[in-house]
Amino acid sequence: MPVPILKQGQVLIASIQAALTDQDLLQLQDELAEKVGRFRSRGVIIDVTALDVMDSFATRTLRGIAATTRLRGAKTVVVGVQPDVAIAIVQLGLTLHGVATALDLEEGFELLKQSATWNRSL
Amino acid sequence: MTDDLRVAVSRDADIVTARQLGRELAGKAGFAGSDLTLIATAISEVARNIISYANNGEILLGLTSKDGRQGLWVVAQDHGPGIADIEQALLDGFSTGKSLGLGLPGARRLMDEFEIVSELGRGTTVTMRKWCR
Amino acid sequence: MPEQRPAVPFRITEFAPSDIERRLEFVNLGPDDRERIAAVKPDVVDHLDEHVAAFFEHLNKFEESRGLTGRPELLEEARRLKREHLVAMVSGDYGRDYIEQRFQLGQVYSRAALEVSIFMGAFHALTSSIGRRIVSRFPAKPIDGFEYFTSIKKVAFFDIAIIVDAMMADREQTIRQQEEAIRELSTPTLQVRDGLLILPIIGLLDTQRAKQLTDSLLHAIRVHRARVVVMDITGVATVDSKVANHLIQTVEAAALMGASVIVTGVSAEVAQSLVTLGVDLGRIRTLGDLQGGLEEAERILGYSVVRGAGSFEPA
Repeated sequence: MPVPILKQGQVLIASIQAALTDQDLLQLQDELAEKVGRFRSRGVIIDVTALDVMDSFATRTLRGIAATTRLRGAKTVVVGVQPDVAIAIVQLGLTLHGVATALDLEEGFELLKQSATWNRSL
Repeated sequence: MTDDLRVAVSRDADIVTARQLGRELAGKAGFAGSDLTLIATAISEVARNIISYANNGEILLGLTSKDGRQGLWVVAQDHGPGIADIEQALLDGFSTGKSLGLGLPGARRLMDEFEIVSELGRGTTVTMRKWCR
Repeated sequence: MPEQRPAVPFRITEFAPSDIERRLEFVNLGPDDRERIAAVKPDVVDHLDEHVAAFFEHLNKFEESRGLTGRPELLEEARRLKREHLVAMVSGDYGRDYIEQRFQLGQVYSRAALEVSIFMGAFHALTSSIGRRIVSRFPAKPIDGFEYFTSIKKVAFFDIAIIVDAMMADREQTIRQQEEAIRELSTPTLQVRDGLLILPIIGLLDTQRAKQLTDSLLHAIRVHRARVVVMDITGVATVDSKVANHLIQTVEAAALMGASVIVTGVSAEVAQSLVTLGVDLGRIRTLGDLQGGLEEAERILGYSVVRGAGSFEPA
């Protein structure tokens, strides 16, 4: 199932649903890269509130998305990691290093506002 | 036991199926919410391992009990190439290329019991168990 | 009035067919017994009201069973189950459904806070009632009646074992829940100002409690929308490597939810022992005292509160 991507000004918002396959994630990566380029977005917020499992592939792909979008001038923030999922990720020994995180969409927007990349563009 | 489940694993969508069924089954056994996520994540890892290394295999799930505690067992088996050096495969960061190699050591950390049997050319079987607290 | 406990979902996996077989072996139930039980079935089934009454009237004599006898809905359910129970007892099928039925009854008793000791007394009154009926059938040879009654009693003991096990399992569940609640209470989080949480930890920190801590903290971050947490471990005497690693994991999990954690109150001794144990403290921010931690937190929060020069509000 493809992940819906909304555009709000200079920010792209991707809302991930629960039953996300590897294929869906890779597709998301491609789509975000394409859209960031097309719309010259400054920020990407990936909302994983509905994601009940974040395994090694998911975290790896999210790191990949952050890296790709950074190359195209956008900052990525992952929001909505659930407490149980956060514990599982950490116990699994994974990290989201290189990816900014925030509690939810609101905090995500707040974080983007403060980032250097952002201010440089204004 | 009638609660045993079997999931054929050959496409990445099967990973999701296996872990969702695992979560449901664990829920029936009375596992706490956070444990459900740990179990689903561990299943996701070993299921992905099957696809990465063996192309296809199966995940078997079931409930058990010991000393009055409920438990969930998971068996992930494939008839793939097998693992040459199991000890190495259980070390963090070890990889033969297709994945970052975190599947097995990661899954082991999330579960209470973890056994792996592998034979080159024959395949690999991972057995994991988690007990209700 | 005893507290109402949440109903424990029946875990049918507790009983494998082999377990049931084993339990029947424990009471030495054989084919002869089954024949006898079938033969005296009318003595039970035709006098259900009498036998059920014997059970509940016995309970009524004691204050301690008020938890059941004083609650109409529970009492009704218990009566109904008891009637079904008695019919099943002499119907010869002691499989999973039979076990489930007894488990349910056990849970009702547990919910009513009925003690095992009282239950036993009432159950005895019940079996005596059945015994009287059976024996009255053999006025000439009471010994025969006794033999038939003995077969019934084997099933009765089989039943008691299951019901008591169910009552105990339920009680253990409740105790665990209460322990959880106590742990929750002993790790309070304090919201100091917008976005800042202080988590003072006092006392012994074992793995179990550390896990509880992580859960409480992460949920508090969500509820209070915290961006910084100052976790003060001044009140913790010793921290072994397991617990230290758990604290580190807590910090990392909090980071995934957008919150920075500053650990304060790491005494020189604790720091030393952790270094000796090879724990990598570099992964977390630590400060000597709570004051320092709060200042650092304000600094972080102050930085976050500065609004950017422009805005990117949706067009």
